[in-house]
Amino acid sequence: MAVSETDLQVLAPAADTGDRSAFALGPDGLDRYTRRDLRKEEIAIAREFHGGRTWVYAVAAIVCFAVWVSFFPLAIMGVLNLPLAFVLSCVFATGGYVTSHEAMHSNIAQPGEKLRWLNELTGQISTIPIVFPFSMARMMHLEHHYHCNDPEKDPDYTDEAPNWWMAWYKTWYNRQPRVNGSIHAYKRILAEMGTPAAKKALKETLLLQLFFMATLFAMAWSGYAIEAALLWWLPRHIGLSYIRFYLSWAPHHPREGRQGRYENSYIFKSRLGHVLSMGMETHLVHHLYPGIPNHRTRAAYFALKPILKARGVDVSKL
Amino acid sequence: MEPALKKLFEIMPFLFGIGFIAPLIAQIMAAAQVAAPFGLDRTVFGLAIGGAWGLIANIRGRWL
Repeated sequence: MAVSETDLQVLAPAADTGDRSAFALGPDGLDRYTRRDLRKEEIAIAREFHGGRTWVYAVAAIVCFAVWVSFFPLAIMGVLNLPLAFVLSCVFATGGYVTSHEAMHSNIAQPGEKLRWLNELTGQISTIPIVFPFSMARMMHLEHHYHCNDPEKDPDYTDEAPNWWMAWYKTWYNRQPRVNGSIHAYKRILAEMGTPAAKKALKETLLLQLFFMATLFAMAWSGYAIEAALLWWLPRHIGLSYIRFYLSWAPHHPREGRQGRYENSYIFKSRLGHVLSMGMETHLVHHLYPGIPNHRTRAAYFALKPILKARGVDVSKL
Repeated sequence: MEPALKKLFEIMPFLFGIGFIAPLIAQIMAAAQVAAPFGLDRTVFGLAIGGAWGLIANIRGRWL
């Protein structure tokens, strides 16, 4: 029987050491029994990092949202430090995705639990500053998990770019009126899905966008255009670009052909560090175990590191 | 209602130009104490720039 080049590559790790396995080896150079044992060990370690004080995300979301809403009447009354409020609004718009993200994965409370309402409330209010309804955000994010890096089915695939500066440019370009990226791609996918949940998400998206526009127009024509721009319009754009870059492009680039469980995200070292990159350096851990809250993925990564290395993950960066 | 909303969003760049960009231009000029050219009122100048920019964005599908 002819041996293909792929077969030779598969056999290479064992052949190099002269320690040929008695079992068929997979593309990662591991036999099924080793893979099974590693997986069991991986699950046991990951289990230790699930849960924790996820109520902190809910408190952060509620406090930040309340402060952000208060900026509007305070600005109209002329008692707000606008430059400071602008910086804080950018932080709230960006950070809101992190708190919403925990709610998307029901990490604050699962369906049927007593605090489920808090999970849903956290999700609902967190992404209002970026004009991104929770229903749509959750559906699209779960689709991203189900079809990560699939050019046809991953809703975030449109963020792919060849390098970091093109990625920043694309975060803006994808929001242009007739470009099929970002929220436009989400709306198209929801319309194609056509399920009652998708229709509801689409309707909520249109209504929230309309509310956003109506607020901007009303404030602008009442003499508060600069305030509206600094409290909502600009923070939304800055927040969306930051989120798209750090939460979508950076941990998944390059995406092409990388759909496997251990290859759809990367371990990388961010120039801005762990906190400012919103925990995305260890995003692979999130894709492996979405139930691990964001603040525990780094610790989970270091605990899982030997197993990830054995599974062929490049762990050299961190 | 939804088809009507969709129609509205189709012309949103133009509406955004006159609804937000125009007063924003006028108010930034006022804050910077810059007069509009040709003796125009700042709001009229803002409407001309915002309306034209929004219309172009609507036609081209790009703001820049």
